[in-house]
Amino acid sequence: MTVFRGFLTITKRNLNTMIMYLVIFLSICLIIQKMLLPETDEAFEQQSLNIAVIDRDGGQLARGLADYLKTWHTIKDIPDDKSILQDRLFYREIYYIVTIPDDFEEKYLTEDASLSVTKVPGSTSGYYVDQQINTFLSNVRVMTAGGFSLPEAIAYVQENTEASSEVTLFDKNGYGSQTPEHAFMYQYMPYIILSILCYTLSYIMIAFGNPEVRKRMLISSVSARSMNLQLILGYGVIGLAVWGICSLMPVLLYHKSFLSDPHLPYYLVNSLLLTLVGLSIAFLIGTLVHSAEVVSAVVNVITLGMSFSCGVFVPLDIIGKGLKAIAHFLPVYWYEINNTLISGNRSFSPSQLTGLYTGYAIQLLFAAAFIGITLVIRHTRRQADS
Amino acid sequence: MIHIENLVKRYGNLTALDHLNLDIQKGEVFGLLGPNGSGKTTAINCLLALLKYEKGTITIFGKPMRPDSYDIKRDIGVVMQNVAVFDQMSVYENIDYFCGLYVKNKAERRALVEDAIIFSGLEDFRKMRPKKLSGGLLRRLNIACGIVHKPKLIILDEPTVAVDPQSRNRILEGILELNRQGSTIIYTSHYMEEVEQICSRIAIIDHGHVLATGTTEELKKMIKTGETITIEAIALDEGALKDILALPHVFDINYEEQVLKIRLNGARHNLVRILNYLQEHDISFGRVFSELPTLNDVFLEITGKELRD
Repeated sequence: MTVFRGFLTITKRNLNTMIMYLVIFLSICLIIQKMLLPETDEAFEQQSLNIAVIDRDGGQLARGLADYLKTWHTIKDIPDDKSILQDRLFYREIYYIVTIPDDFEEKYLTEDASLSVTKVPGSTSGYYVDQQINTFLSNVRVMTAGGFSLPEAIAYVQENTEASSEVTLFDKNGYGSQTPEHAFMYQYMPYIILSILCYTLSYIMIAFGNPEVRKRMLISSVSARSMNLQLILGYGVIGLAVWGICSLMPVLLYHKSFLSDPHLPYYLVNSLLLTLVGLSIAFLIGTLVHSAEVVSAVVNVITLGMSFSCGVFVPLDIIGKGLKAIAHFLPVYWYEINNTLISGNRSFSPSQLTGLYTGYAIQLLFAAAFIGITLVIRHTRRQADS
Repeated sequence: MIHIENLVKRYGNLTALDHLNLDIQKGEVFGLLGPNGSGKTTAINCLLALLKYEKGTITIFGKPMRPDSYDIKRDIGVVMQNVAVFDQMSVYENIDYFCGLYVKNKAERRALVEDAIIFSGLEDFRKMRPKKLSGGLLRRLNIACGIVHKPKLIILDEPTVAVDPQSRNRILEGILELNRQGSTIIYTSHYMEEVEQICSRIAIIDHGHVLATGTTEELKKMIKTGETITIEAIALDEGALKDILALPHVFDINYEEQVLKIRLNGARHNLVRILNYLQEHDISFGRVFSELPTLNDVFLEITGKELRD
């Protein structure tokens, strides 16, 4: 098992690179998760602002509007003085000023009339109050037009604001229709698996592919068959180790939430097939590239290219049609399609299950294709060499 | 021990080995001497079954050599022209790795690796990576990896290329020591001095076939040249050149840029006779050299060209 031992020795020399990629991966996962997942999933809180209502009309509609706004906001008692109001707004003691002009009620009910509002520039909360005022006034206008008296209309609108409705979201995947945290990790996993495998194994392949070293090995008493088997074993061990470490990370970070996921086997199979794809790509790169310096550039192009175009860093939903069409010809796309399917559904319909298995099969075919191409290249070279 | 008969190897239209015949006996340091591109490395690669050949037979230890002749390969050690080690492994790991391709037993391997390290003088560099070694040390590591399993037959393909004189001497001494320890050596080089220094028998090879085989003395006896006299800073006319060529034992002269090179067959007092002629004819001259024939002269006479052309 000398060749296998040598394989592991060279792998050990690349441990730093492997650890570096694992740290990058974990950091990306945790940062993006923090950014994408809402702080609270189940609570909704209305925002209350300090506002000022300058009532120059003094009518029922103006008082009704003030009462309506009081339901959500704190109305500050501030004198009707332009400079004072501007000061308060500047120092953020109030965020919104609504000025109800003289004869507003009469003008509003008979013709179009508008209110003068002043708000903190660019604040979203200002739009929020705009909407509330528009809702109140349009509702009152609709009701008075429908025959209700103004006090009745104001009372009904006020009453409606106190009514609340219960909304229950359909829990499609058992995680409140939210993407489970470990699914994020599996979404980014292709980057780490492909990077580690392609870097490490390409370097090893280049070392073993060195024509002089290869010659020295070929003239030894170990058969070429045994050498190849030992190299395959090395590939398998490294592949399984990388897959094992990557699979262990969600267990360590999310414990029960991941382990109790009924789709755990699907995640594992999906990532295992991706590992196989990674091994086959590494085999191809290690055969085509002869310089360790070039490996870095090639691996970056392949891993980052596939990650950006196949939905690793950017969700598939927001990838353009053209890019998505190209991504169909890349194995990571099918991994991500499967990952989305697994994380988005509690149970699979027969067609979804077919889709899932198709994704698995396509990944397997990609791996077989890469291995086949590499073997043909190697065979052609060997023929030329002899 | 090694028998090569009518070996023909072609690369497209180029015939690299043209009916090559060689017989190497046990215990020899056999030199394969030839200029670059003469077919030495191709012959070695065919011998090791690394290359397929069109025609001919190769037997080593009395058995035909094939790519799957692992029993034969077990007793062969090869030191290639280019350094063949793993950059990612230390000196010790490299030697241990290549030893492991022949020796399974761990304790036996450890002892062999230690012997190889001591033999190649790499005791202080065990943990160093090849990239940190000087050119000479790297060559020694290359040799250590090739001979660590103590093979019966060691093939060294130009192991001293780009090596400083100190390391070269150490390598050559090491090769002789391996031979004293019982290994048969095949040594290829285009450095005739090295071949002359260490080889007990030499084959001169050019254009893929053997031109002459024998010991250094036997090869030198094969040629006409017994002595070469070189006279510098001399002014000669056509008549003087004809006179010199007519002197006894002179069979060839070459006069270029005021340097006269006279080749004579083996006889005594050649130098005195030529200097007398120059004095008698009042021809002034500078430095004078007299050299006995070298392998380069052998090569020159056989092929009509210098060994390092």
